[in-house]
Amino acid sequence: MLLDAIVIVLRETLEAGVLVSVLASLGTRLHLSLRWLGTALLAGSAGALISAFNLGIVSGWFAGVGQEVVDALLQYAIFLLLLWLMLLMQRPQPEPLLRGCMIAIVALAVTREGSEILLFFSSYLQSEEALIGAATSGFVGFMIGLSVGILCYLTLAVTLQPSTAARVQRIVLPLVAAGMTLQATQLLVQADWLPAGPPLWNSGHLLSERSISGQMAYAVFGYEATPTAIEIGFYIGALCLLLLAQYCQRAHLQR
Amino acid sequence: MKVLRVLRRRRGGQTLEAAGLIRAALMTVALLAASMAAVAEVPVIELTIRGHLFIPAELVVPANTKIKLIVINADPTPEEFESYELNREKIIVGNSRAVVFIGPLEPGEYPFFGEFNMSTAQGKIIAK
Repeated sequence: MLLDAIVIVLRETLEAGVLVSVLASLGTRLHLSLRWLGTALLAGSAGALISAFNLGIVSGWFAGVGQEVVDALLQYAIFLLLLWLMLLMQRPQPEPLLRGCMIAIVALAVTREGSEILLFFSSYLQSEEALIGAATSGFVGFMIGLSVGILCYLTLAVTLQPSTAARVQRIVLPLVAAGMTLQATQLLVQADWLPAGPPLWNSGHLLSERSISGQMAYAVFGYEATPTAIEIGFYIGALCLLLLAQYCQRAHLQR
Repeated sequence: MKVLRVLRRRRGGQTLEAAGLIRAALMTVALLAASMAAVAEVPVIELTIRGHLFIPAELVVPANTKIKLIVINADPTPEEFESYELNREKIIVGNSRAVVFIGPLEPGEYPFFGEFNMSTAQGKIIAK
């Protein structure tokens, strides 16, 4: 068993899995059939393949920081789509739009995480034996991640009372979306497109990014132990926009 | 400069004033150019990946300065340069080079690793 393969696939599956399971449960609560999810996963897998094959070319864009810029754009796009999704939920019958929006979000999220998994496995293509070993380990990681995702989905879609599930979704979705902007902003700092700065604080001793809980916090709300001012600025700005969208939605529903 | 100023002062009123203005303008341009060059002059440091190892495994960089780190992946396989302490993450495909801007860093040690080969690809940046 290759520990690297288990850890990488598990991490990427969990990162996409949180968002996918919350959206899937939202769809089920809104009485959508799960067919949209199949479409989204297929589109995401195709996206991951395209992204992985072209990473070398993309990396060369913008004087060597194309990878950061494209990945940041993907994450900002997911944020905007989540914001739009929250506004869409205001209307009584927005089914096709709602479905399209959720397909786009899941497809983009799977593209991001999937391409990293594919690139990792591309290292093992030279030897069949090594590839089988890595793929078996990767499969174990994937199954663990998938189980967690399904558990999240079932908890939100079936086990919890609808009102409680709705409350959890209302809390988790903005956190995931704001976390996306934090990570995207960090990538633009890494590319030197946004100004770098010293970290505002270091919460590493409270919650280490290396720990499992730290990794989960990263997957759910983009946790960083040492964020800089500009990252926190984008995070708070994004969170305010999302909460405003939610407030509008609830005000609209109550009317 | 002082000698020049003294020489020019001898030439009398108007010339002195005009020369002073021109010199002030030139100085301003020179200062601006110098400061822009300072902004553009980010120290460049190279790091190579070979045989799933980082070479050198320890990099000493100036503290409180933005650094342009060039990671050269000499292996045919992709690697992901990652560091929790530096908040950096970037995939470098086989036989290619990548640019990663880091810092400004406070003095200290910042471990990094290759996520695709964690057991061997380990290193750290020391900011002094």
